[in-house]
Amino acid sequence: MKLYLGLLESSLPDQARIFGEIDGKLVDLNLAYAAYLAQTQGYTANAYELAAFYFPQTITAFLERGMPAKNALDQAVAFARRSGVTELRGPAGERIAYDAKDIRLLPPLLNPEKSFVIGFSDRTRTEAIPKGEIPTGFYKLPQTFITDGAPVVWPRFSQELDADGCLAIVIGKPGQRIAPAKAWEHVAGVALMIDITARDINQREGETNNNLLGKNFPSSTCFGPAMVLDLSRKEFEETEVELSLDGAVQQRFALRDCVFSVEQIITHWSILGIKPGDWLAIGASMARQGDRLQNPVPLKIGSTIRCSSRPLGALTHRVVTDGGISR
Amino acid sequence: MKLVTYRIDSQERIGAVDGAGRLIDLHRAYAHYLDDVRRSPSPETLAAVVLGKDITEFLNRGKDALSAAHTAVAHAEKSPKGAFVENQRVRLLAPVPRPGALISAGKNFSDHVSEMSSKKGPGNPVAFLKLPGSVIGPEDEIPYPPEVKNLDYEVELAVIIGKPCVNVSVDDAMTYVAGYSAFNDISARDVIRGENRSGIHLMGKSFPGFAPMGPYLVTADEIAYPQHLKLSLRVNGEIRQDSNLSYMIFKIRDMIAYWSQMGLNPGDVLTTGTPRGVAAGRKPDQTPWWLKPGDLVEAEVEDIGRLRNRIVAE
Repeated sequence: MKLYLGLLESSLPDQARIFGEIDGKLVDLNLAYAAYLAQTQGYTANAYELAAFYFPQTITAFLERGMPAKNALDQAVAFARRSGVTELRGPAGERIAYDAKDIRLLPPLLNPEKSFVIGFSDRTRTEAIPKGEIPTGFYKLPQTFITDGAPVVWPRFSQELDADGCLAIVIGKPGQRIAPAKAWEHVAGVALMIDITARDINQREGETNNNLLGKNFPSSTCFGPAMVLDLSRKEFEETEVELSLDGAVQQRFALRDCVFSVEQIITHWSILGIKPGDWLAIGASMARQGDRLQNPVPLKIGSTIRCSSRPLGALTHRVVTDGGISR
Repeated sequence: MKLVTYRIDSQERIGAVDGAGRLIDLHRAYAHYLDDVRRSPSPETLAAVVLGKDITEFLNRGKDALSAAHTAVAHAEKSPKGAFVENQRVRLLAPVPRPGALISAGKNFSDHVSEMSSKKGPGNPVAFLKLPGSVIGPEDEIPYPPEVKNLDYEVELAVIIGKPCVNVSVDDAMTYVAGYSAFNDISARDVIRGENRSGIHLMGKSFPGFAPMGPYLVTADEIAYPQHLKLSLRVNGEIRQDSNLSYMIFKIRDMIAYWSQMGLNPGDVLTTGTPRGVAAGRKPDQTPWWLKPGDLVEAEVEDIGRLRNRIVAE
């Protein structure tokens, strides 16, 4: 099940709603569940309130509701399929199903406490340099997040921008110091992510083992378009991610290309405590270029980046100037 | 004005501390003013709209919210009516309990750079992100994580951003400051060393409770010369760090201008680096100075405030 967070045309910024993709339509899950309660369970007075409890205004809060919310999702989806998504209406006749173009999508997880990318983790790179002992990571600030369709704005301070396709493992259950054998129990799903890097700044910051401006500027984290629940562990492990630039595939990877296992990553980072809506991403390949390692996907103004995966959807972004530079 | 965020009866509130050290509930005091003077209908609701529900919303409202806060405090001094809160019933949180970004300068005092054996000071401001979730209040306990062997302290000034701030000049930079607070950049040196061997460091600066901040957000108008304040740190009463912000390599205005390139928002916090005297810099033996469970760490910035945090075994 693909979960989206989005705004209707008339919505204020704080009125986001959770949508599920059912039979090609984006279905307002809050209203679909209210309709299910009203039409099949005999709820009259409090169908809206119950629906708002299980389908609140963020996917993070939905994940925090745990198993009961998951059950409500299953009921809402089954009901929508039975009723036919295009015929489906809310308890008071409200519209429920939309085409993707009618919804303004937001990054599905807006404000995680931990949004980390595990660095130096792909096999190609570790063939060139020694493998790290621990899955170190860097933090991508929520204020840098954009989602599908939004432009990547070239920052004035950089001459060298590149893109890395990533797979974000989304946490569904809180925990701290989680044992490897329990790690998968804390995984709710997965989402696509593109890590945009100002490589010249990143190289300079790397000299002091830091990683800030080169990784964190407006639009440097493309996330979404959906948060995908319910992949089996096997499906998850087999998920192939592709990053293409202007239509040509540049990176292709899967979980197996990561030198650290999901268990190692979750065990390590859960030392700090992890919560629903947090994510830990693994990245794609780097290659040796000249005397240094460089991501093979350098960007130009006007480039179109697309990160896609059959079960996860696609992120498409165009690289634009902020008007203040010419390159 | 000294602004605080505090918890009472499991509710988070924002307040101001007056000259006599009394705590004023800003929402209640402003609602009283609206009721008594302006005869507003629904004064509580209107007060919440004007002030915002927390400090981040308050800062986003800019000078309108700040002038309402001044009005509220003046009215409470004249006509108290329950706007004052008994200090004993309150737990102070960090004045900005959930910064959007917490950017901490490294290598920003030349005496600290040399004690840490770095070759030379950096050519550009150096900083890293601490997790906003590691922020705790001025008197909260710091949990000592079982994974850590070398726990260290770093007294710093916290600069709280008050306006959206992108690509600003050094000359304009100080107009984006909402205020200041005291900060302690707690650091697990052994964890950081391990992380640096494999890549970059993040965990070693961001365990839960590794970012005590407070007690107040002292608004910028009260601090005429922020670049000339003393800062000091004591462990169990023994002085370890004693310096002055005038020794910063990159000044407050340089840091704001540089980091504004990434886009800063109201409620983001920049901490300006620590001077010499950290445990990791002690010669020849660092061992006596590492923090241990039971230690009381007091980090103070002159005219801004003092943190008192005890280390407790987790």
